[in-house]
Amino acid sequence: MTIITILKHVPDAESRVHAKDGALDLSGATFVIDGMDEYGVEQALRMREAGLDAEVVALGYGPASTTQALRTALAMGADRAILLEGDELHDPLTVALALAAVVRDEAADLVFVGGKQADWDSAALGPALAEALAWAHVDWTTAFALEGDAFEAVHDVDDGSETLRGRLPVVVTTQQGLNEPRYPTLPNIMKAKRKPLDTRPADVGQELMVVTGHTGTERERRREMLEGDARSAAAELVRRLRGEAKVLREEGR
Amino acid sequence: MIDFELDPQQRQIRDVARRFARDEVMPHAAAWDREASYPAGTVAAAADLGLLNVGVPTEHGGLGLAMLDEALVAEELAYACMGFYTILMASDLGVTPVVLAGTSEQQERFLRPLTEGPRLAAFALSEPDNGSDAAALRTRARIEGDEIVLDGSKMWISNGAEAEWVVVFATADPSAGHRGVVAVVVERGTPGLRAQPIHGKLGQRCAPTAELILDGVRVPRANILGEVGDGFGLAMRTLDRTRIPVAAGSVGVARRALDEAARYAQERHAFGAPINRLQAIQFKLADMAINVETSRWATWRAAWLVDQGRPDAAASAIAKCYASDAAFAAANEALHVHGGYGYVDEYPVAKLLRDVKLNQIYEGTNEVMRLVIARSLVR
Repeated sequence: MTIITILKHVPDAESRVHAKDGALDLSGATFVIDGMDEYGVEQALRMREAGLDAEVVALGYGPASTTQALRTALAMGADRAILLEGDELHDPLTVALALAAVVRDEAADLVFVGGKQADWDSAALGPALAEALAWAHVDWTTAFALEGDAFEAVHDVDDGSETLRGRLPVVVTTQQGLNEPRYPTLPNIMKAKRKPLDTRPADVGQELMVVTGHTGTERERRREMLEGDARSAAAELVRRLRGEAKVLREEGR
Repeated sequence: MIDFELDPQQRQIRDVARRFARDEVMPHAAAWDREASYPAGTVAAAADLGLLNVGVPTEHGGLGLAMLDEALVAEELAYACMGFYTILMASDLGVTPVVLAGTSEQQERFLRPLTEGPRLAAFALSEPDNGSDAAALRTRARIEGDEIVLDGSKMWISNGAEAEWVVVFATADPSAGHRGVVAVVVERGTPGLRAQPIHGKLGQRCAPTAELILDGVRVPRANILGEVGDGFGLAMRTLDRTRIPVAAGSVGVARRALDEAARYAQERHAFGAPINRLQAIQFKLADMAINVETSRWATWRAAWLVDQGRPDAAASAIAKCYASDAAFAAANEALHVHGGYGYVDEYPVAKLLRDVKLNQIYEGTNEVMRLVIARSLVR
């Protein structure tokens, strides 16, 4: 079978970005493989290492620099990579349609994609892709196992988690807790150089939605120093976290 | 064509080293220094990632990394702890003469085992009574039938007690000067070989150093690298390459000094503002940035020459001398920016200074570097 794991190349969460002329200026930012997508690569590799007969294909979308994220996936152990090269600002629905065409071409049965994309903080891509393929879809997955074409998955819901059973094909969105992604090793980086990376122009057709402008909000942080010794400052901090910020609840008695 | 960008693979190699340095080395460096303890577990983890013995050729199970790749790894690991990087660097120093002069059979016999676990090599040139005057070495080598017998002692040998094998330089004919030198691979456990650990180092305290005592050590002639008489030239050709990782490690220390000083100068207030508002401090930070940038370019150029098949003794010596002096200066200024706090081990800057002092001394003192550079200028 073929497992496709979808990747985006996003600004490192630790890098600084600036707003300039009503848009974000990413020129100084360092880019990395989206952390949420990395869980999907790791999951596919673990399933194969556990004996599943599967080819793992990393599928990236975005500008040419996305090849760096794909090379990382190849160095982690993916077999080959495809870049759907196009403008990074396409909305998730348009991207989902373009990705769906590749998923069909590759006759894949299982797709992993990050629960949300770190750059625009959108959680729409996975569900939109499932819709475009008319496949089942499991969101915010923290455990996933396959037996034949039957899967069992655990995913987060508002008040806890649910366990689901279903059959392939399925789109699974991944998140923290699913696994601990490996470091690529130097030998695997060297091997990845010889793995195929196929670049295709993204066939996006008519865009469904266009971002026409961007207005950033800037907020001043409120800084306050609590006076007094450690004991009284801590007591005051707890009082404010409970009473004003309401992030602490009264202890249950 | 001049291109100052790293290619995607080089960036990946750097990122692996950077992540490992941040997660596995930096959190422990102060404790290793305080306890002078050898971080065996972290060396093993580095080996698992492929960061150890990176110069072993692919045909003998290694990665055959380019010198520029090695420089990228060196900068990242030394940023976290120069002493830790010295353990890995000294192993590649032992590997290099085998790569340069070993037969295919010797390379298979000595190098492949190093790729199969966290195993180290070592290089033994200096002696208790001579260092810079390397041709004056006194360790004797006598050929007896199919064996070579070694007597003498070797000083300041990094990984001396831990290494699987050591390349020992000895003289078969003291009257022949440097033309009498032979390089021999001596395996650990060979009768007559003893390693005496050296304690009380100023810095790089997690990197083990030993004196090796050779008392009638017999090894097969098949362990000689090249011919009797080739040893001195081989040692020099080795060092022409391995000084580049010393330079790259120095860049890492200088970059760390800059980062530590910049952070502290933002936190520390004087005269009603962070001290980084003071021009006296700004100039120190600017000088450190100059040190980092210029030494990195000198280092990368020397590495690039090796990778082009044109290793250049003077370029390597310029990089090693300049980068280690610049890193010492940067560490010194970073300590000064920290004031009294820089003088105690609560902050990492004192360790940077203690560690990087050695970079001005080992693999040829910076005075010897200037001799090497001058030799390319004066005929």
